[in-house]
Amino acid sequence: MGVIVMKVELSWLDRTYVWPVMKGMSITFQHFIKQLFTRTAKRYTIQYPDMKKEMPAGYRGLHELKRFEDGAIKCVACFMCEEACPARCISIQAEEFGDLNITQGFEEKRPAQFKIDMLRCIYCGMCEEACPKDAIWLRNDYEVAAYDRLSMQFGKWDLMNTYAEADGKDRISQDPTPSVPRRTIAM
Amino acid sequence: MDMLASLLHTTPAIAWMALKVVIVFGGVMSLAAVWTWVERRGSAMIQDRIGPNRARLFGRWPILGLAQIAADGIKMFFKEDLVTTDANRRLFWLAPILAFVPALMGFAVIPFGKSFVSGGQTYHLALLDPGNGMGMLYPLAIGGMAVYGVLVAAWSSNNKWSILGGMRASAAMVSYEIGLSLAVISIFMTTGGYDPAEIIASQSHLPWKWNVVPQLPGFIVFFTCMFAETNRLPFDFAEGESEIVAGFNTEFGSMKFSLLALAEYSHLMTASALIATLYFGGWQVPFVKDPPVLLSVASFVLKLVFFAWVFVWIRWTLPRFRYDQLMHLGWKVMLPLSMANLVFHAWRMSQGH
Amino acid sequence: MFITFALITLLGALGMLLQKNVIVAGLCMVAAFFGVAGLFVLLANPVAAALQIIVYTGAIMVLVLFVIMMLNSHEEEKAQTPRPVQRWLSLALVAALAFGAVKLVMASAGLKALAVSGAAVPRAMTLQKVGTTLFADHLLGFEVAGLLLLAAMIGAVALTKRDL
Repeated sequence: MGVIVMKVELSWLDRTYVWPVMKGMSITFQHFIKQLFTRTAKRYTIQYPDMKKEMPAGYRGLHELKRFEDGAIKCVACFMCEEACPARCISIQAEEFGDLNITQGFEEKRPAQFKIDMLRCIYCGMCEEACPKDAIWLRNDYEVAAYDRLSMQFGKWDLMNTYAEADGKDRISQDPTPSVPRRTIAM
Repeated sequence: MDMLASLLHTTPAIAWMALKVVIVFGGVMSLAAVWTWVERRGSAMIQDRIGPNRARLFGRWPILGLAQIAADGIKMFFKEDLVTTDANRRLFWLAPILAFVPALMGFAVIPFGKSFVSGGQTYHLALLDPGNGMGMLYPLAIGGMAVYGVLVAAWSSNNKWSILGGMRASAAMVSYEIGLSLAVISIFMTTGGYDPAEIIASQSHLPWKWNVVPQLPGFIVFFTCMFAETNRLPFDFAEGESEIVAGFNTEFGSMKFSLLALAEYSHLMTASALIATLYFGGWQVPFVKDPPVLLSVASFVLKLVFFAWVFVWIRWTLPRFRYDQLMHLGWKVMLPLSMANLVFHAWRMSQGH
Repeated sequence: MFITFALITLLGALGMLLQKNVIVAGLCMVAAFFGVAGLFVLLANPVAAALQIIVYTGAIMVLVLFVIMMLNSHEEEKAQTPRPVQRWLSLALVAALAFGAVKLVMASAGLKALAVSGAAVPRAMTLQKVGTTLFADHLLGFEVAGLLLLAAMIGAVALTKRDL
């Protein structure tokens, strides 16, 4: 199917070329003046290290492993996320944890190690989709950078503390000894 | 002046000449350097961006990003000086100089302020005193030389894109020089002289007597041709980035590239000085009959800076022409227009105006 | 000053003759033009100097270089078979011509007059004087040259443009 391209008939004023140039120059000059008298905060440019963009809801940034109020990890080491991960960047080692009388009664597994290779991660959010316990989610931090490859291997405690400062929570580095059944807390 | 001369063991004339050289070339070169910053900030503002504002003087004072010039200079200076293996080495070295020297030399004849008398001696604020016989022919001649920088740079780097850029630049230069010369000649005609001092004096202090009013077509031709001469954006055929990589300066790096860029901006300064002198009364101050010397210098600098800004402004407004459009504009529009301007003014003069 | 400009001219001309590379030869020619322009200034004729640069270096040489680049013939010429007879003949001819020229200049009346009366300080040539000379004293020559150039231009257009 052919498309008929309508040729624009220019008026004599436009064909002088001088007048359209002046029109264009007035447009650019308006932009210049507008930008000159706009305060830095109101300009379109976000001057990155000083100003940061507010990420929209649903943005998939750095992961966090969620925790209960007492600091215990929500993850039950079901390996769903490891299976779901298209980049194969998650590796989990599960462990049993004992004394079923004191603890929650039905959750007897937790990750001993939970590693994400941030160099491989593609931030697709499949782990978040796959998780039956809502224990992992991707949040708004996009500044994942390091000086060496080793520090891009995030372990269990790194992942649990990724948003500790942002949320005003304490950093934790060991599993707490639970005293009450977990089910009541979860309710 | 006499004291300075006696301190330096020279005659006042030589000391004054040296001072003028320092003022003019130093001024033009530093303005050209500043203009690299103006271009970047101005383009940013026009495109609703911010532009370079990070470089700080001594890491502390962010003077509007002006320290960027120094940072660029230092970077360029310390970069490795690469010469491609198949380049013609001697010409490759020569090219930035050939581009830079004519760009600065053109300024020599332009008076940047009113002549004044001090201690029984007249001081002219131009490198070449009026009545040197060269007059406005000199910047035209030097402007014609400027294409050799581009040509030699293009050819010596032995790169097909560069050669294409150089060829396009030389063709554009030759075809626009004719319209340019005719526009200037009609000014010579109405002035009755070709010395810049005479041209400025004939324009008087009344803005409606400046050459731009009676010679508007001539001004349009001259202005357009100046864009073609300086290889600035609607006509930057020497370096059409989207078509021929970076044109004539593709292979140039470090200080050589810096010199080529500075040459472009010096050329821009000379071009705006020429526009101000020929069409906008040079150092004449509007409505002030006999201005003080400093005021006249300020007026000239203001005009120069304004036209240099217009160059930047137009660059970020208009897209590049196509090559055939350039030739069409040069030969079929600019040349007849300037010729009509010339004939019209000849007719008016024959009628006794 | 004279020595400087004369050297620039001579070296430029020699370079143009001796360079195998066409573009470099062209640039040497530009240098020679520049030297000639300097000599014009020394002869108190800045107008001729400016016109020399505008017309020859600014337009003609640019066009020549443009054509050279367009034909893309920047390979160096191959050495041809030596022709000893022609070489010596040309040298002899050049020597004879130079000798004749020097003799002519030395015997000229102008030089003798200069030696007797001393050089008068020449008045600088201006564009006005060039104009009056051209259009008042040599009007016929000017018109003939203009007509010739016009004919050449029309001829060039007619030759290159197939369908007018």
